[in-house]
Order: sequence, then structure tokens, then C-alpha cells
Amino acid sequence: MAQHKPGKTETFEPDVVIVGSGAGGGMAAYVLTRAGIKVLILEAGRDYDPVAEAAMFKWNYEAPLGGASTPDKHFGFYDATANGGWEVPGEPYTNAPGSTFRWWRSRMLGGRTNHWGRHVPRFGPYDFKAKSRDGLGTDWPISYDDVAPYYDRTEKLIGVYGTNAGLENHPDSSPGILHTPPKPRVTELMIKAGANALGIPCVPARYAVLTKPIDHPHAPRQACFYATPCGRGCGIGAAFQSTTSLLPMAVGTGKARVVTNAMVSRVVMGENGKAQGVEYFDKDGATHLVKARVLILAASACETARLLLNSKDGGHPQGLANSSGQVGRNLVDTTGTNVSGHIPALENRPRYNEDGAEQAHLYIPWWLYQDQAAGKLDFPRGYHYEIGGRFGPPGSGLSLGSMEDGYGASLKEDARRYYGAQLSFTVRGEMIPNPDSYCEIDPEVKDKFGIPVLRFHWKWSDHEYRQIAHGMETAKEIIERLGGHVLGGPLPKPEQAIAVGGWIIHEVGTTRMGASASDSVVDQFGRAWDVDNLVIADGGVFSSNAHKNPTLTIMALAWRSMDQLAGRMRRGEV
Amino acid sequence: MSTISRRETLVWVGAALAGPWAVTAPEPAFAQETPGLWKELSFAPINAPGYGTDPDLVKPATPWPLTLSEDQRAMLRIAADLILPADERSPSGSALNLDAFIDEWISAPYPDQQRDRWLILSGLVWLDAESNARFHHGFAAAGDSERRAIFDDVAFKGKIKPGYGRPAFFFARLRNLMLGGFYARPEGMKDIGYIGNTPMLAYPGPSDEALAHLNTALAQMGIKPVA
Repeated sequence: MAQHKPGKTETFEPDVVIVGSGAGGGMAAYVLTRAGIKVLILEAGRDYDPVAEAAMFKWNYEAPLGGASTPDKHFGFYDATANGGWEVPGEPYTNAPGSTFRWWRSRMLGGRTNHWGRHVPRFGPYDFKAKSRDGLGTDWPISYDDVAPYYDRTEKLIGVYGTNAGLENHPDSSPGILHTPPKPRVTELMIKAGANALGIPCVPARYAVLTKPIDHPHAPRQACFYATPCGRGCGIGAAFQSTTSLLPMAVGTGKARVVTNAMVSRVVMGENGKAQGVEYFDKDGATHLVKARVLILAASACETARLLLNSKDGGHPQGLANSSGQVGRNLVDTTGTNVSGHIPALENRPRYNEDGAEQAHLYIPWWLYQDQAAGKLDFPRGYHYEIGGRFGPPGSGLSLGSMEDGYGASLKEDARRYYGAQLSFTVRGEMIPNPDSYCEIDPEVKDKFGIPVLRFHWKWSDHEYRQIAHGMETAKEIIERLGGHVLGGPLPKPEQAIAVGGWIIHEVGTTRMGASASDSVVDQFGRAWDVDNLVIADGGVFSSNAHKNPTLTIMALAWRSMDQLAGRMRRGEV
Repeated sequence: MSTISRRETLVWVGAALAGPWAVTAPEPAFAQETPGLWKELSFAPINAPGYGTDPDLVKPATPWPLTLSEDQRAMLRIAADLILPADERSPSGSALNLDAFIDEWISAPYPDQQRDRWLILSGLVWLDAESNARFHHGFAAAGDSERRAIFDDVAFKGKIKPGYGRPAFFFARLRNLMLGGFYARPEGMKDIGYIGNTPMLAYPGPSDEALAHLNTALAQMGIKPVA
């Protein structure tokens, strides 16, 4: 964000301090500054400018190891993640015996919005009241209708391509909001035809990628030019990330300042039961105290829980905002697995440019709500498929569906024959919170700043295993209907196929919202029940985690919470 | 180089096969085989630095030194030209410097690449041992038909010579690495038909020819086309 360098902070007295600059923090800064409120954004990572730093057009062969994933760059050399990934240098986390949870973090301005998948389905009416439907987990204290206007606003602001498909529990957007989706690829049309033949829908996906430009004096964004991988960061601003939109828009008002390399360690309480400010370490290890009327925590679900638990003091022995005991609890991710198939009919198919908007153009939304309601399925919550298969840019691992064989002239023919002849079905399902999945402070391990780290506990239930089994079986049916075979032999057992906890990077729920202070951490506006001037604006507030990717909902809820907060501040209530 | 235990080998191979799943990968099929001429070797670890967690992405650079000898590189060039020979659509594997690609790969300080280093270096030792046992000279000195005779025993699925599971595992990995290195190059991308990474004002979608091909295939399956 080099074009909007923060000014001197010494003379800047913020009304609000925001911890985190990703989806939630960026949105909080955008909404509050528009309301005339002065905000200071604290980001644990370094400054980051996708315009200067994203290696958009670089070829894989120009990178070390052909761009392959390494422990230094877990999603490949060019991925827009700085100093992060499954491990952050000097900032460990631990797993309790018998648990496996992986926690993706980044340490850069804009956080994980720089490289995220950008798939943005809306939660629907059922998703906010899931317990009322099947008796499991908990309902949200709000309904879809409370959030719908904020979905509209958020989609309009960030820019989303897609269509209104009019499907059950997959809400339409208001007219005029969605950008036209790109034309489907051959592989997607094939999946749609095969799925439809089995009575399964397949419709345009919704991605936070512009297909028409959005003008803004501080954050002009171009339409997608149908080249370069979005995960490297998008210097033209077509693929949404906080660093090319929310942050420059906020800073452009003159009401926001950003401090990078600011690792917040604890919330400091005042005498009056209100939060006074936060303490942070700079990169040299020096501590700073910043004070404000209101604190917004948007450090990511687990980092925010860690911050609250580490803010315990004499008056809050269980950690701050934790009289319910729910901070760190109810940790959920999205379930995930992949099924790929080789399709003989796609062998040697005619070549054309299949880059498109890089992301999927079609997807398969969950379609069996009525069967579930009628008790016909042995698992309570749904999933969707993110579908794939295309003539992608070759890298260090050329995917030929393990069909390659032998050597010599026939091998070259194999490469031509099998390139682009695979279809993939990525299962993404809802997990129900359970008492065995949570995070807490590790009693011994500290990070390089001396801040105690998180220890994770994790367990799937049969709800998730049965759902994954159904997802694999159904993908196999589609692949076989298209004359193909599943790669990798017989389908594995779901216990083997399910990705480990955290792997889908949809971890939410650790500071959930609710209708009562006794069993939730925040109210419907993200306000901590225990601390009136502390608001949480990240995925921690989710009461349940529909299979639909969470970032759009994080932003819509953050907007809603900030509107309410701005009103309270204007009226002098906080 | 020195020898390591069979168990250690299997741990390495298992790690190479593992994914983001909590369950350990099964033992490879050849675990119970007699190793034959394949030796369980170990090699000095690579201690060079990686590129770090925040490299300059716009100016990519490989910081670790290459480690293969000229003899090893020469064997890889021979293998590269057998595996991916020149034809009318693209040059040979050695012309695209696959020996350098493999050298960079197996010289990297990361765990996956270190496992491949063990496998590739062991495989090159095996290739020479196999050639010596059969033809009384090393692989580099062998004739084309002699080299092919060895490859033919390890390269084809379902036709692996009994007792050659370990060399076949090595060969499959070498082939996979070479396919990746080859088709990521501009000449390889042109051969395989990757078209893209070019900015355009509008995305045209599938060509008429590509759509016709799809719809013909769907019709043959008795499935109604959707476009």
C-alpha cells in the first residue's frame, strides 16, 4: 500500500483502535472512517503493496523449484503470503496430544485477503437457524433478514461476479449488484451436464473478482483481464483484497492511520470496567500502549481468542470477555476433501485459453435440503463442490492424472493426451461445533515476543465423516456418469479422506455471538457482553459455520457491527 | 555416502506419499521385496539456506548451490533424452536443461526435495550397478539398446520386472520431475498447448471447436449438453 503510507502516528489521537487489517479489520476501518471516526489500525505483519510486489506475470519456471510449495512458501513461491503459512517464524502454536490442527496465518498488511480463494457464497436463512432445523449446535441471535442488506452492500463494495440462481437457501442478491460471470469452461460445462443428468444443480459461482471496473479516487480497481493467478495478489485490484480497496479507501479519508509490525499482546483494562487500550510489540521488541474510546479486535478468530485469553488479570482470571467460558470454544473449520477423475472423453480435446477469471466459473451448491429435512440422509449439514479441471499453466508438478506411463515418444503423446483431461471435485462441508474442538493458552510455550501461544484440541464427529462419505460417493457418481474413473483407486474411508482441522482455513466460532451473556462472548453486533467498548469483527463471532466460505459473511457482519457502533459513538453511549 | 536401514527408507517414502491427512500413508507395495542391486544409501544432508519466508517475488533467485557432479549430470542428460526425446513439436529433455532442473531440485534444503535427493542419487547409483551387472560397463558407457533394456524393466505400469519395485519407484519419480520441468518451459508449454497468461478485455470462453467436441462426447454418453 505504498501509495497511502501512514502519516505520523504521534500526533494522531484515534477514537478507535483496530487490531488487524484483513477482511474484518479492513471493513471496520472503511465503515468507521466514512462515519467520521478516527481509527488506528495495528497490523502484526509488515507493510505490503500488491502493485509493487505481486509477481503476477512471472512464469513458474522462473521461480526456484518451478514455483513448488516449500516450508518457506507453503502455497508455492509466488503466493501472496509474507512470513506466514502453516508456520510463522518465531510464533509457534501447539496441539494437545491426539489432536491435529493446522493454523494458517500471514504477517502482512491486508492479512489473508491478499491470497484467499475469493469464493463468496451467502449464508441463507437456514444457516442462521440451523439448530431450529436439526437440534444441533446453536442458532444465531440474528436471522438472514438482518444481514441481507449488508450482504448487498458488501458485495457491491468488494465486487462479486455471479448470478441469482434462485435456489433454496442460496439467497439472491438485490438487482444490479452482481457482475456478469465469465463464460464457463468446457470442463465446467461437462460437470454441469453430468451433474444435471443426476438431478444435481450446477450454477455460476460467486467470486470476489470484478468483471467491470470500479472507480474510486483512492482505490480505482480495474476489471479482470483474464490472466495471472489470483493467489499471487492482484495489482490491478480486480480480485478483491483489503490492500487495494478497504485500506486505501479508509486511509484516503484522512481519518485512518496504519502501524505495521505491531504485534498486539494484550488488552489493557481501565478502572471503569472498560478497555483502555492495547499493548503491542514493535519489530524490535519494544512495547507500546495505545489508548482509544473503543477497541475493535479483528486479528482472526484464533488470534483474537488468544489475545482475550492472554489479557487475563486479577479481575478477569479466565481471560477478558470470558465470563461465559466460551472464548476459544466452539472452534470449527470447514470439512474438506478432494475427488478427482480422469475422463477419457476429454483426452486430446481442442486447445483454447482456459485461464478465464482463474477462479471457478461454475460450482455445485448444496441441493438436498428437503431430503435432510425429511430425515433421508444420515448427516445433518450440507456441503458444496468447488469444481475444477482445465488447461492450467504447467508448473513443477504436471497433472496428468497419474495416467503417464513408460518413456520416450509415447510419454510425450501421453502428456498431450492427458493434459486437461481431469475433473476435480473439492468438497467443502459444514462442521458442527463440539466440546472437543477448541483452543486455549498453552501453559508453557511462548512466542518470540514472550506472548503465550495457543494450544489446539480437535476432533471430528460422525456428522462430518458421513457428510464427507456422501460427498465422495456423489462426486464418484458424476465422474462415472461422464465415463470416467476416480483417480487414486477405491474411495478411502472418510476418516482417512477428511483434511485435518484448520486445513481449509475457515476457522471461526471462538468468540461466538449469542442472545445471552451466559453462553456467548459477544452480542449480535460483536460487542463483548463483558466489556462495553470492545467489539469483535472477525470470524470468531460466528455462531455456526455453514459450508459457505466465511469471508463475505465476516465482512457483512463487520459492516453491520460498525454501523451500530458508529451510532452508539455518535450518541455518546460509548 | 553410507547405508541406512530399510525402515528408514520406508519412513522417507511414506512421508513423500503423505498428504494433509492425519492418517499415515500405507507402506509402498515393494516394502517386502528383496532390494536386489538397489542399495539403501544415505547422503550428507544439504545445509544451504532456503529462500526464506519473504523472498522478492518479482526477482526470483535460487540461493542454494548445485551439488551434482558432472558425471551425475551427464547421466541425467542421457535419462532426460530417453524419457523426453526431441520430436517435431518440442526439443529433447537435455536441450531444455532438465539436468540443471533436477540438480536445483535435489540440492534444495527442503524436506520434500531432500527425500527426492535420496531417491534420485540412490537411483543413479542403481542405474550404474544394473548396467555394470548386465553389460560390464556403467550407464553412461552403455549403448542405446542397453539403456532401454534397463528402462523397459522399470518404466511401464503393470510390467515392472519382479523384484524391481524400488528402481521403478525411483524411475516414476524421476519421470514425474522431468515432466514438470519440461512442460513448464516455454517450449514445453507450446508443445502441450497451454494458451493463456495474456491479458484480454473480455474472456471469449470455449472455441466453437472445443464446444463441438464436448457436445459430441456428451451426446455419445446420452447426456444433454448445457451449452
